Order: sequence, then structure tokens, then C-alpha cells
Amino acid sequence: MNRKKLVTMANQIAAFFAAEPDHSVAVAGVAGHLQRYWEPRMRREVYAVLDGGGEHGLSPLVVEALVAHRASLEPARP
Amino acid sequence: MYSNKITDHGTPARPSTQQVTLQIDGLAVTVPAGTSVLRAAAEAGIRIPKLCATESLEAFGSCRLCLVEIEGRKGYPASCTTPCEQGMQVRTQTPKLASLRRNTMELYISDHPLDCLTCPANGNCELQDMAGAVGLREVRYGFAGKNHLAEPADASNPYFSYDPSKCIVCSRCVRACDEVQGTFALTVAGRGFQSRIAPGPTDFLHSECVSCGACVKACPTATLMEKTVAAHGQPDRAVVTTCAYCGVGCSFRAEVKGSQVVRMVPHHDGKANHGHSCVKGRFAWGYATHPDRLQKPRIRQRITDPWREVSWEQAIAYAAGELRRIQQQHGRGAVGAITSSRCTNEETYLVQKLVRGAFGNNNVDTCARVCHSPTGYGLRQTLGESAGTQDFDSVAHTDCVIVIGANPTAGHPVFAARLKQRLRQGAHLIVIDPRRIELVRTPHVAADFHLQLRPGTNVAVLDALAHTIVTEGLQREDYVRARCDVAEYEKWLAFIRQPRNSPEALQAVTGVPAELVRGAARLFAGVRNGAIYYGLGVTEHSQGSTTVMAIANLAMLTGNLGRPGVGVNPLRGQNNVQGSCDMGSFPHEFPGYRHVSDPAVRGLFERHWGVRLDHEPGLRLPNMFDAALGGSFKGLYVQGEDVVQSDPDTQHVQQAMESLECLIVQDLFMNETAKYAHVVLPGSSFLEKDGTFTNAERRISRVTRVMPPLAGKADWEVTVALAKALGYPMDYQHPEQIMAEIALLTPTFRGVTYEKLERLGSVQWPCNEEAPDGTPVLHERQFVRGKGRFVVTEYVPTDAHTNASYPLILTTGRILSQYNVGTQTRRTANNVWYAEDLLEIHPADAEPRGVRDGEFVVLKSRKGETTLRAVVTERIQPGVVYTTFHHPESGANVVITENSDWATNCPEYKVTAVEVTKAAAPASSWQQRFGEFGKAQESLRPGSEG
Amino acid sequence: MTATVYVPRDSAAVSVGAHAVAAAIAAAAAGRGERVRLVRNGSRGLLWLEPLIEVATASGRIAYGPVQAHDVEGLFAADVLRGGAHPLRLGPTAEIGWLARQQRLSFARTGVVDPLSADDYEAHGGLVALRAALAMAGDALVEQVASSGLRGRGGAGFPAGIKWRTVRQAQADQKYVACNADEGDSGTFSDRMLLEGDPFTLLEGMAIAGLAVGATVGYVYLRSEYPDARAVLRAAIETARARGWLGDSVLGSSRAFDVHLRIGAGAYICGEETAMLESLEGKRGIVRAKPPLPAIAGLWGKPTLVHNVMTLAAVPWIVQHGGAAYAAIGSGRSRGTLPVQLAGNVARGGLVEVPFGTTLRELLVDYGGGTRSGRPIRAVQVGGPLGAYVPSSAFDLPLDYEAFAAAGFLVGHGGVVVFDDTVDLGRMARFAMAFCAAESCGKCTPCRIGSTRGVEVLDKILAGEQREANTALLRDLCDTMTHGSLCAMGGLLPMPVLSALDHFPEDFGKG
Repeated sequence: MNRKKLVTMANQIAAFFAAEPDHSVAVAGVAGHLQRYWEPRMRREVYAVLDGGGEHGLSPLVVEALVAHRASLEPARP
Repeated sequence: MYSNKITDHGTPARPSTQQVTLQIDGLAVTVPAGTSVLRAAAEAGIRIPKLCATESLEAFGSCRLCLVEIEGRKGYPASCTTPCEQGMQVRTQTPKLASLRRNTMELYISDHPLDCLTCPANGNCELQDMAGAVGLREVRYGFAGKNHLAEPADASNPYFSYDPSKCIVCSRCVRACDEVQGTFALTVAGRGFQSRIAPGPTDFLHSECVSCGACVKACPTATLMEKTVAAHGQPDRAVVTTCAYCGVGCSFRAEVKGSQVVRMVPHHDGKANHGHSCVKGRFAWGYATHPDRLQKPRIRQRITDPWREVSWEQAIAYAAGELRRIQQQHGRGAVGAITSSRCTNEETYLVQKLVRGAFGNNNVDTCARVCHSPTGYGLRQTLGESAGTQDFDSVAHTDCVIVIGANPTAGHPVFAARLKQRLRQGAHLIVIDPRRIELVRTPHVAADFHLQLRPGTNVAVLDALAHTIVTEGLQREDYVRARCDVAEYEKWLAFIRQPRNSPEALQAVTGVPAELVRGAARLFAGVRNGAIYYGLGVTEHSQGSTTVMAIANLAMLTGNLGRPGVGVNPLRGQNNVQGSCDMGSFPHEFPGYRHVSDPAVRGLFERHWGVRLDHEPGLRLPNMFDAALGGSFKGLYVQGEDVVQSDPDTQHVQQAMESLECLIVQDLFMNETAKYAHVVLPGSSFLEKDGTFTNAERRISRVTRVMPPLAGKADWEVTVALAKALGYPMDYQHPEQIMAEIALLTPTFRGVTYEKLERLGSVQWPCNEEAPDGTPVLHERQFVRGKGRFVVTEYVPTDAHTNASYPLILTTGRILSQYNVGTQTRRTANNVWYAEDLLEIHPADAEPRGVRDGEFVVLKSRKGETTLRAVVTERIQPGVVYTTFHHPESGANVVITENSDWATNCPEYKVTAVEVTKAAAPASSWQQRFGEFGKAQESLRPGSEG
Repeated sequence: MTATVYVPRDSAAVSVGAHAVAAAIAAAAAGRGERVRLVRNGSRGLLWLEPLIEVATASGRIAYGPVQAHDVEGLFAADVLRGGAHPLRLGPTAEIGWLARQQRLSFARTGVVDPLSADDYEAHGGLVALRAALAMAGDALVEQVASSGLRGRGGAGFPAGIKWRTVRQAQADQKYVACNADEGDSGTFSDRMLLEGDPFTLLEGMAIAGLAVGATVGYVYLRSEYPDARAVLRAAIETARARGWLGDSVLGSSRAFDVHLRIGAGAYICGEETAMLESLEGKRGIVRAKPPLPAIAGLWGKPTLVHNVMTLAAVPWIVQHGGAAYAAIGSGRSRGTLPVQLAGNVARGGLVEVPFGTTLRELLVDYGGGTRSGRPIRAVQVGGPLGAYVPSSAFDLPLDYEAFAAAGFLVGHGGVVVFDDTVDLGRMARFAMAFCAAESCGKCTPCRIGSTRGVEVLDKILAGEQREANTALLRDLCDTMTHGSLCAMGGLLPMPVLSALDHFPEDFGKG
């Protein structure tokens, strides 16, 4: 999967939920969207981006969602 | 030519609740007040001769055959123009009336050719019928007098001819063009005996005629005649079916001779179209028997190999073997399928069942991904149901219409005709579109406001409208507080009230003068019934889903949901795009929009399907391409969809296709995607199978087989065979059984049966215990999700920004005569109107670039470039260019980027930063490669040397 | 002292040299150092005496006519400015018997006033009715018109009061008054004479009608063949607006009524009220089926009071003098006066406004003075091209809608065209058919095809081809057209044809 594109997509999702005044709702919103609409390969890949560290380009809200909801979001290895 | 096989009551029905009773020929007849005597008689089974009256048009009173005698009234009033009154006593047959009718008919025939036996309307001619009915036996005037018999016919239109020598000047054609279609292309030229029908000062082809066929259908003689009827003769039977073009879903009577379609006539009882049609459904069906049709399956190992024509069994076995091999080598998730929004509900249901049940994953998607997926998401989030809220009839009750990001006269012409009828009656219109679409100003219709926004700023405009309403206190607070989630509403209020959402603040972003936005907001908020209609200009944006939610917000805010005349109305692009979504074509949802992670739902399907089902969402269409290029996705079954031509960033899609190990394409034709395929399975057209389509108003209508499948199998039979070959047998003998399974497993479809569809004509889902006859309007008592939910819709600019290298914005759309990627319409005479895609550019942009009208230009984006011809026009605003994507060689999607909607990955077709320059050559390098690849593939076809 | 000389601007007078006469008078006066005020008035209606000039003297207006430019020097030599004797001197205008015998209600001011002088208009009793109307309730106004017995002067003779009541009672956000000035009947000119000679009377009548029925906008649909009337009426509308007679606040009443002028495009059928409405809406002038009546759904679907110029011009007199005064004049159910237009082969043609009940003979002999050719009158066509050819045996018939109808004739718009004994009624019947064929709107079949077939059948009859069978066919066709046509055009066409056939069979080779 194209990681750059996944990062863009994740950040777009975060941009929508960022307008949510309640921050915890925003974090849950991002996580829920990834859970419901992203195929496991995509979620796995985005964690790989996150875990790769450095200039990954993920927005803080995405990072927060990925970290807070890792247990439910990160798929088991196939 | 009309059809004398259907009952015509002469004048339209009147909806009055007040009834009047009168005596017609001694028979007591009770009808709604306002009904004509002619219609009342027809309803009582009394047939009064008539020629100028037909039930789709208002009474005209010109032919003077329907004269009657009414007790207490002098003279012989025309029954078509005389409304029934209580206690009226009418006589329809007296010696005097007989003489008047016969003498009038004698006048008609004194100027009519006596060639009935060789006339194409013979046996289906109202003039002939009426001459018989009035007992005309001689023409005392002789035939040496003045006449029009030598006038030349006009055969310029590819589909119908106009023969003035047969014309009786009843004006039905002119009135059909005015009243039904609203194009006002026809008139009567001259007066008195010289009166002749004229499409303006030119021939039909070059006139303003849009070839909707309403005039032809209304013609009582062979004057306006379908060329196919002239060629094949009169049909021997008629089959009611549903059009396979746009999401209006017009009902048609396919008039057939054996298995030869003679003509397609819009069905008067059709609830979506009420007897109207457009050039595509009415005339452009010849593709079904085009010589290009695939008639035999073919296979090959590599796309550089020549094709081998094989039996169905061999092809299916090969395809199944490859899919299983890939899954064994690359994992269960390495294959997937694309369902077709042009196939039936039953067929899309089977394909998603195949994926979930036989492939064992959820990698199924459909072309709705690239059009209306944001509609599904946005309406679900706000209102609770992924569908339009109204029926089309609703527009007759609306007082103000917002059309945003839609061009109904081109994309949904039959709905546009209804809309224009309402606008001519005085309803207001607000158009929100970067282009000056036809509705902005068309005969007898003018928009009150045209908010000509910069592409990509829909959310800003909608927020500014809502801001105006809220800050000026124009919202329906009572409605909102009673029906919506108040906490969410207040959260949204706090957002929308902010000065940065004001029309003044957003003017710089949208390019729309603030006072226009305020005026439009006041107008919309001030009417009793306001309705919003939208299209892909809303969804195909990085904020497509946000825009849909902003539309829902606006509708809730103004109290415009839950009754006729209002609503949020997505104009769906394809015949069954609503149905393919309903049927579970999205990777995260089972039929009926239920998430795959829901254990109860999954359990239900597991029990009925007898397999374990995956609880994780599958790959969406663009994700499949990315996964293919990433190496984890190797096999794809595409039914009735041309992803190479229709999806964005063509070169990216082509590379993804090239990377597949097994691409199975099932289609009517060797489309662009099929050139990359390893297995090609011939598809069947809508004329060749049974099933159902669901249109934009959730209306489920029957598709009826009128001829056998050209290649021997209907599409659903192919999926069944493939499933069986994969070891997952499906036991269906007829699509009716598939619908029974859908009804069993889908709460909104529980009451749907073929028997009911045939009895009622069609039904709108939800159709179940609570609504056995279906649901014309959603959210009547409460929203499907309970309380309506306002969603904060922050405007986020698209990434598709212009700069010095790419200073223009490209937006794309379609035109009337072509349909989507043109697979069907390009194989019809519709090409006469639009043989190539054109680039619209404003003079202010054309001039500095030295671009003149009709010249080739290079259209270049960050993704690619293509060459096409320019049209210099002020229809488009400065800074924006526009083209269509109907022709593969134009490569409009070569320049489109991979940007997509944040929620659904629906591509951002509507905004691409581009530059336009004069072309040195009529083909770009991409187009040259495209041409070479096409030639190479052509040399690989079965039987060719290569 | 300045002498006032009246030289008509009416196009009938202009057509026989009135402009040249006016110029000659101005020149002659200048040459003699006489101060002359030239007033371009309308016509008095004595058309055989046009140009009829008048000189205001201490003993009233003295008429001279017919005056040609070359007569002017002689007139001045005869001291015309002080009413001097001259062979062309007709005496005091008011005492000319032809004029004095008439009862001019609608035409009281025509020929008397300067048509474009608002002051003149008021000085001669103008606006009295409008002021009265503004003080009356709408219902009371309608009752005045109803009690006057006024009937539509366009031809149909429908009671105006009923029409007014219908429009008044119709519920709508907008209503209209539409004045039919598409005066297309052969031998008619009363609308034109009023429009050129006293346009304010029409505007006042329309304003009163608007106040009565609740209409705020009026249209005058004028035929394009009347350029002089167009110029006068346009100027009159502008003056009326400038004076506050028309506009947002009629005479300061805060009640609105305005009038717009629309010009036709040369179609006879646009004189039919529904075709006129179509044309006013900018469409082809074809007839609408009724119902709905224009009073319920007329112009742009709104309740519309449609009247001919003559009907509306009668209104100010009725309102000023009361419906009862108008109803006191006339005969039977035909009340008031009818401005008859004498034309054709007549010695003394012109505008004769007389009470209903006057006989044709009085009109033809007493007023008309027989034919211009001096030969006996053989037939007159009354009521335009669709009116009957009346034989001399019926000349004692009184002008009366019912009496005419009973005899198979038509009063119509009051046009009377005189023929002497050289007329061939067979050719005239054919002309009637040919006229209908040329002017049929083409909507309904009996008129569209029937009129053309009628010409062909008449040609056969006149050529002696299967005369009996073709005459029977012609009668059958006429029956179909009478009973089957959509409007009065095709419905009345049989009237001239059959009246010619019935009363003058010898002209069809049967004698």
C-alpha cells in the first residue's frame, strides 16, 4: 500500500473530526472511522508508519487516535 | 406514432377531492371536479372520437371530433375542454353529432395521402381509427384541391422522421414539447391551411430539439415516426421493463416483434416518469444488438497473449481455478470483485454474496464508490438512511428548489422535465453550480439565484447559507427542537454562528457575492416547501461527505424533511446505483446497510449462506488498486464496470490492472478494462434478463426479459456458475428466488415480491410489514435514526490548489446524449450530437492562451496530460475549465488526481488544478500510447492474425 | 386677435390632404400677418366632407369642406377666419343636420377637442366620471354598468355588467383590463376615430373598469395598421401618466391603474379575444378554447376584463350620467347608442352614432344618401367580413342584436358596407371564404381546412360544375363550420356565404 496516500487519507479524516469541540469525541471519531471503513491491511500499514517514527506526517489527532485505540484498531497478523 | 394498444382517457386526471355526478348517454358517472366530459366518458367506457386530445396533455379543443350535446346549452361544445358539472346531461351520440364528426373527418382526409396500406402507422394510427369510428365513406371534395401531399419529409434526426404530408396539425407534438418536456423546440409555422409543424427555422437535427421523443409519442399519425418502426413494421407485443440508463429509472414498454425490439415507448403508468423519456432510454438502445457485442467467453494467461474463445464451462473453470490459486498463494484477501450499478439488484446481490461467501472476504465494491458513496455516508450520519428522502412526484409540491452540483437537463432529463413543469408554475429556483447550467435560464424558466461558486467550495457556500438563516432567525426552531437531537443542534449552532461562516467572510473563498447568498438563504427559508436536489458536483470532492451532511443540516434547519414537496434528493447517476448500494456492494456493509462487524447481522447471513463471514471491512475500489500495486491484491472480478476509463488517474489504474494475475471482466463489450483482462465473460443487456432496478427515489421496478441473452447466459447465471465452480453452489432458477432471499434477509425489503411489483408497478423501499405498499417519503413521523443529527461541517480547502504552473481548475460532467463512459451510447446514433469530448473554456482564459474555438488544446495536470478540442464559452466562469468523460480516447481521467473524499474515498473528479495550452499535435503522448495499446489488443482478438 | 382653426389629424382626413391644408393655412395666415392657432382635432365623422376644417367664431364653430390646399387662398380671401361666405362653407358645425340628428355619447368629444390636450379634455367634461368612480364602491360601479344595459360592442353583444361582475368576484393576486383595438373588420373605423380623436375617453373608461373589477394594469392591443392612432394613444398615455390620471395613484387616490400599449402583427384573428390574449402574452395568435373564460383565467391565466374600444369608451358617459340614463336610450335588449360606420359605395359615408332601434333604411338613405355611384343599393354587409349580406327587402330592420339575429344577420361592430346593383354576390361569397382561408388561425379543423375547401367548392359552383351537388356540399360545409368551429371566425363565416346564397341565388347561376 502507498503509505503517503494512507497518511493523507488519515489526516483528511482527522481534519473533519477536528471541528468537533469535544476533543475526546474527536479522537473516538477518528478511531471509529478507521475501524469501520479501513480494511485491516490499511490499518496495519498506518501503524507501521506510526511505529516507523521520524517524520511520518500523521496529524496529532490521528496519532492520538491510533495510540488510544490501538487494541481495537490494530489487526492481528494474518 | 402513438400506440392504440393502450387506453387514452383524452385529458389528464384531476386530483380534486370534490366529486361531481353527471349523466353521459343516460349513464350516471361520478368523477373528481374539474374532470373533462371526455375523460369522464372514457372512464365510463364511452369512447368519444378525438384526435387532438391525449391524456398526457392539457385539452386543446382543435380537432372538433369530440363535440357533444349538453342539455340546456346551445351548440356542440367540445367534450375535452368542457369540465363536468353536477347534474349535467350529456349526449355523445346523436345524428347531428355523427354528421359533424363525419364532415370534419372528411375535411381531414381531403388533405391526407391515401396510402394506409403502405404507411408505417398502418394498424396503429389514430386518424385511421377515427375515420373508421365516425363512418367516413367518401370525400365529396375530391382530391384535386389544395393539399400538402408533396411536402418533403425531414429525416435529419437519426431516430425519427417528420413527414408533413401526413400531418393533421393537431399540435400534440408542439404541446408535448412545451408541456411535457419544456424545451419549446417546436412551433406551428404559418396560419390557416398553411399551418405546419416546424422545429424553428431549420431541420429537426439542427433545432433545439433534444430528441426526448415526447412529440413522436404524441403523434396520432405517421407524421412523427420512429425509424425503427418504419424499418421493422408494427410490433406484435409489448413488455413493461425499466430503462438501464440513469437513476431516474423510467418505465418503458418495449414493443417487440418476436425477439426484435421495434421501439421503446415510455410507459404512461410508470411512476418515475409518467410516460416521459429522454433520448437515451427512448432511442439509444441499439447497442444491445451492436456487432461489437461479446458473444463468446475468452481466456488468456497473460495480457500479451492472444485471446482464445472457449465454452462457458472452460472459461468459468479457468477463472475459478485462478482465483483459488491466487488465494492459496497470496492469501484469502488477495481477490475481490466489483459489482455493477447497471446490473440488477439480484445480480449485485449475488456478486457480493460470492465475495463474502465464496471468496471469504469483504473485498467487494461498486462504482457508487466513485459517485454517490458520500451520499450513503452523509445521509446515514444525519438522517439515518442512505437514500434520497422523496419520490420524484414530490417536486410538484415544492415552492423552492435548490439544485446544487447537478445538471438535471443533461444528467436526469426526465426528472428535469418534471422540475421545469413545476418551475413554470411559479416555484422558485436556486442554482449552486460553477457553470451556468441550462436550468439557470431556459425557456420560461429562470433561476432566482445562481450562486456561481468556485469548484471545491460547496461546504463554504452551504455553511454561509445556514449561517444567514441562523443569524437572521429564519430557522424552523420548533421543527428542529421537536425532531432533532438538541444537544448536537446546539453544538452545531455554536459553530455555524461564528462570523467566519458568514457569507461576507466566505466570499473570498467561494467567489459568490455575499448578498446573493443572503438572498438565496432568505428565499429558501421563507417558503412553505423547500427541496434540495443534488448530484455528483456535491459528492465528488474531498469534502463530498461533509457537503452531503451540510445539505442535510440545511434541510433540517428549515424544516424541510418528512412530507411531500421537500427533502434531500440525490440524483443518482446510474440506473441501479441505489440498488447496488442497497444490496451490500460496499465492503463494510451487508445488504440493507448493516455493518459487517455487527455479530447479529453476520450471524443471520452466516446461517442463511452456510459459511463463516469476515467481520472486518474489505478494500474499497481505490484501495484495491493501491493494494494491487503494493502486491497484496492479485485477482479481481469486474462485472459491468469499466474502471480503466471511469476511475481517476488513469495511468495509475492501468498500472494496477497490469499488476493483477487474474482479471475477470464481464461486460457487453471489450471495454478499456477488458484489454487488461485474462478472462472475458460476455454480459447481458437489460433486455435479455429478468430482475429489478432501484432508482434514485428508492423505487424498485421490474426489468423484464424481452429477448434471450445473446451469449446464452444472463449475468446472474454467470455468477451462479462461478460460485459453483468455486465450490460454493447457489441454487437459483430465476431471479425471483434471489429477490425472495433478499427480502428474507433485509428488513427494508421484507415486503418485496415479484408478484407485488407486477401488481403495483413498482414499490419504494422500505417495503415491509409497516409499509406494505412501500414508502414514497422517508422520515415522515421521525427520522430513521430517531432524532435528526446536525453535524459540524467545517470547510476544509481541497489539496487540489492552483498555482502558477496549474492556474486553472478543471471540473467534469456529462452531456445529454452520452451516458457515462459511453460504452453504450457511443454504439448508437447519439454520436451525431456529441462525437468527442470538448473542453469548455472562458474567453478570458482562452484569449491570453491564444486558444480559439474548435482548436486542439493540451490539458495538463500534475498527473498527466491529454489533448482535446476547445469550446470557448461564457457558460463556464473565468479560471475554470470543463470537460466530459464519455470518450476513452479523450482521456479526461488521465489528468484527474487520486484526491478523494475524506470519508469514503470517492474521487475528487470535480476539482483538478490544470493548465491549458495550444496543442502542437492532436494527440498527447498518453493518447499515442493508448492508441498503440488498443491496436495491439485488437491484434490479439480471437481469429485475428497476431 | 388670434383665430382658431381646426384641421383634423384623423387619418381619414389626412388621407385626403388634411396635412397639406393645415400647411397651406399656416402659410396663408403668415403671408397675411394673421395670427392663427391651428388645432389638429379628430374627425367629426362626415368623411365625404373631409378635410373638413372649422373656424372658431363668436357664433360658434363654422365648418368648411371638403377643403383642399388650393382652396385655402380663396378661403382667406373670403375671410374664412371670421366665418366668411364661401362655396365650401357648411355653416355652423353643430347645425349640420347629418351631425345634429345623431346622438353622440361616446363620440361627444371626438372632432371637438384637441385629442392630446389634457386641459381640453377636462374642459369638455373629461374625468368627471373617473372622479365619481373613485368615490364609489366597486360593486356600485359594476351595478351602474349592469343597469345601463351596455353590451360588448366588439360584435358578440355580451352584457358588460355580467363580465364586470365575474372579474370583480374572481379571486386573484392580479387582474387585468385588456382593450381590444385590433379593429380588423372591413368598413369599420370607429375605434380608430376615437383613438385618434379622443384617446383620453378610452383611458378614462379603462381606469374606471380597472377600479370596478380590481385590476391595476390595462393593455391596449392595437393593430399595426393604425400608425396614427398608435402615435396619438402613446402620447395620450404619457400625458395621462404625467398628470397622475394613470399610475400608482390614480388622481391621488392611492389606487393604482396603468395602461400599456401593445401593437399587433397584422392578424385578423387577433381581434378574437382569446387570440388577442395569446398575442399579448407574446405567443402565436391562436384561439383558446373556452372555458375557462378570460374573465376567470385570461391574460397570463389571471382574471381579465376584455372589451372592445367602443365598450370601454361608453363607460365614462354611463358613470357620469348613470346607468339608467343610458338604459333609457335604445330598443329592446339593445340599450344605448351604436357608433355605426357607413362605408363602401355610399354617398355620405362616415361615423353615425345613433340609438339602437334606428333602421337600416334611415342609416342608408337619411344618413348615407344612397350609393356614391348613384345606382340602386342592392345589398349591404353589416358587421364586417363575417356579417350577412342584407338584401334591400330587409332595410326596415331596426338596429337591434336580437332582431338582427332573428333575421340571420349580425350587428357586429356596426360596420355597414354598401353595394350597388353591379355587385356579384357569388363572388362576394367566394371572397368571404377566401378571407377566412387567409385569416384563419389554423387551430380548429373546420376553419383551417373548411375555408379552403369552401373556396374550391364555390369555384366549382360558380363555374357551373355539378352545381346542385356542390351547393349541397357547400351548405353541409357551412353547417359544419357553424356548429363545429372553435371560435366565431369559422362559426360566422357561413353568414355572408349563406346570406348571399339565400337572398341572391341568381348570382350562383340559379336564377
